[in-house]
Parts: sequence; structure tokens; C-alpha cells
Amino acid sequence: MPEEGLGFHLPSLIAYGINFLLLVGILYVVGYKRILKMLDERQSRIRESLETADRVRQEAAQQQQELQRQLEAARQEGQQMMAQARESADRFRQEEQERAGEAVAQMLTRARAEIQQERDAAVEEVRRHFADLAIRAAERVVERSIDRDAHRQVIERVLEESGDLKR
Amino acid sequence: MSSRNKRLLLLVGLALVALVVVGFVEGAIFKGPEDAFLSEPHVALPAEQIASLGAFRVTNTLLSSWITTVLLIVLFFLATRRMSPVPRGLQNVVELAVEALYNFVISVAGEHYARRFFPLIATLFFFVMVNAWLGLLPIYQSLAIFENGHVKAHLLRPAGTDINMTFALALISFVFIEAWGFRAHGFAFLGEFIRVKVLFRDFPRNLFMGLIDVFVGILELLSHFVRIISFGFRLFGNMTAGEILLLVSAFLVAFVATLPFYGLELLVGFVQALIFAGLTLVFATVAVAGTESEEHH
Repeated sequence: MPEEGLGFHLPSLIAYGINFLLLVGILYVVGYKRILKMLDERQSRIRESLETADRVRQEAAQQQQELQRQLEAARQEGQQMMAQARESADRFRQEEQERAGEAVAQMLTRARAEIQQERDAAVEEVRRHFADLAIRAAERVVERSIDRDAHRQVIERVLEESGDLKR
Repeated sequence: MSSRNKRLLLLVGLALVALVVVGFVEGAIFKGPEDAFLSEPHVALPAEQIASLGAFRVTNTLLSSWITTVLLIVLFFLATRRMSPVPRGLQNVVELAVEALYNFVISVAGEHYARRFFPLIATLFFFVMVNAWLGLLPIYQSLAIFENGHVKAHLLRPAGTDINMTFALALISFVFIEAWGFRAHGFAFLGEFIRVKVLFRDFPRNLFMGLIDVFVGILELLSHFVRIISFGFRLFGNMTAGEILLLVSAFLVAFVATLPFYGLELLVGFVQALIFAGLTLVFATVAVAGTESEEHH
């Protein structure tokens, strides 16, 4: 065994070389490959989860917007419906009012006509009675029967001329 | 701090001071080299043979490198046996180291070449560092083979102190760098060294510049081979000097006075590993430089 010098020894050198290359190979298979794969996976997973988070956030924002929109639409619809209801209620009321007014007017007209009729009838009756009465009075006065019909005509004419009682 | 802890600290401090004093008294500075607590260090650069496999001699440094190898393999195996996306325990430690190193490789070589370079670079780093640190274990270099009551050979010695190991790594580093360069550039890679283009372009006119270019090519070629030597001797020198520093400091002042140097050697082991791996990475990056854009599409 050389005690002097640096101790170069080719077989040892080769042994070290082989040893080291084996170590490189084994560490690659056992260590680096798996660890780097894991690092890659972790990286992609982190990126994915970040992307997912972003997407979820975006979706949430979109959904909220959609919700807002729907809410707005519903409110508008409700307002529209209310306005419609109010309008139709107004219209209904107006129609009812009109109809009621018409009915009242009709009833009034009818009543007035009836009243007129009654009054006419009453006036007629009074006139007839009055004529009869006048004839009977005249009969009493002249003590004789006069031509009832001719007399009545006279009275009628008088009454017509006075005209007050008719209308 | 409670008074009890204070008292304990004081006691430890006193013990340390006492150890320093005793170490100084027992050390070679005070007693002289003959009567020192430790015998005078004997520096032997070649590794000692501890066994033989047929004609092949197994040295203590080779055994040490095997231990390093097995330790690294076991460590990585245990760390990656049950990988989970959320790392725990050993996986976390190893993953942290690998990730840091990988990011370093990416920062130098770029994403494209990082995957190709990484296994060699990382193994260089881990191997050199663990090897150096193992040598700092207290009992590591005390184990020895005895024969007739005398130390026949030390069983273990950090492999970084064996020039065969450092040159084996240097050669591997060299071969990989050149192979990567050749793979990236093809035969154009040789054009770095054989620079005759200027010389033969309308021949006699560019004679002077052409000769300079040829000379530059030769220098370039030389510089690549000189790397083997610088790689080999840098690591060997640092590791060996560290060992000698520890031995001599322990010889001069026994016991605790060596501790700062242990700390220093921890740093040296890390730094040397980083330098070896880092330089290999840089040279490899230079060798493949300018090809990334072409290979990408």
C-alpha cells in the first residue's frame, strides 16, 4: 500500500465512479422521480384549486347577478300586475258606476212616466167626476134631463179651454 | 429564565471552561508534542486498505462512500415510500431539500434542461455533503482494525479525502457536461474547439486572426479538461484540509477547543457540495447554451 503521494489508484477510481452512477440511478428511481412528480402534482393541484375557486367565485357572482335580475323582473312584474289590477278595478268601478247611473236614470224615467200616468189618470178621473157632477148640478138646476152627451161635450170644451187641469 | 436554569447554565459554562483549561494543559501547546493527550497526527493522503475482494482492494474511504450511498438510498426510500400531497416528517425534509435544489437548477439552467440535469446535480450535492458530514460524527473515524494491539487501519474515513473519489466525480461531471453539450449542439459542439473557420475563409488574408482563433479553440479545449483537475483537487483539498485541521486542533488543544472547527467543517461540507454541484450545473448550462429556443418548437 503506497504511503507516499496522493494515492491514485485506477480500480478504486472506477469503483467510485460506478458506485456514484449507481447512486444517481437509484436515487432517480427511488427519490427524484417520485418527489418531482409529487411537486408537479401539487403544483397542478394548487393551480387547479385556484382556478376552481376563481370559477366558483365567478359563478357565484353570476348567480347573484342572475338572482338580482330575476328579483328585479319579479318586482317589475308585480308592479305591472298591481297597476293592471288597479286599472281594471278602476274600469270596473267606472262601469259599475255608469251602469248604476243608467239604472237609476231608467228607474227615474220610469217612475216619472208612472207618476205622469197616475197623474193623468187622476186628472182624468177628477175631470170625469167633475163633468158628471156639473151635469148633475145642471140637471138639478134646470130640473130636466138634458142631452147628456151634448152637455158633456160642452163641458169638455170648457175644460179644454181652461186647460189648467189637464197638465 | 428561572434561577434553576441560570444555575444549570452556569454549571455547564464552568464545565466547559474547565474542559478548555484541561484540554489546553493536556494539549501539545502546553505539554509538547511528545507528552500530549493525543498522539501526534500522522497525515497519510492515500486511503488505507481494510479488506480485499479478490484482487480489488477495499479502502476505508470506499467503505465510507458505500455507507453514504446506502444511507442516501434508505433516506430517499423512506421519504418517498408513502408519498402524500401534504408532506409530513421525513418526506417533508427530503422534499424541501429536493425542491430547493430543483429550484436552484431551474434558476440556472431554465425549465427545459432542469429535468435533464437535476438527477446528476442533486446526487453530486447530496453525496458530497452527506459524505463530508458523516466524517464529522464523533465515533466515525475512531473505529479501527487492530492487529497485535496496534492500529492496523482505520475502518472509516470520509471519501472526500480520497483523491480517487473526487476524481471519479470530476470525470463523471466532465463526461456528462460534454455529452449534454454534444447532444444539444451535435457536431457543431466540436466547433467550439476546432476553430478553423476564420483561417480558411479566403485563406492567406486572415492568417493572423485565423491563427488566434485556432489558439482560442485549443485554450477552450484545454479549459474543459482542466475542469477535471480543478474539480478533483478542490474537493479533495478542502475535505483533506478539514480533516487535518480537526486533527491538529485536537492535538494542540484537546477536547472542546475543536468544536468551532467542527462547526466550520459542517459549513465547508455544505459549501463544497454546493460548489461541486453548482459548477457542474453552470458548465452544463454553458455547454447547452443557445439551443433551448431551437429545441422548444
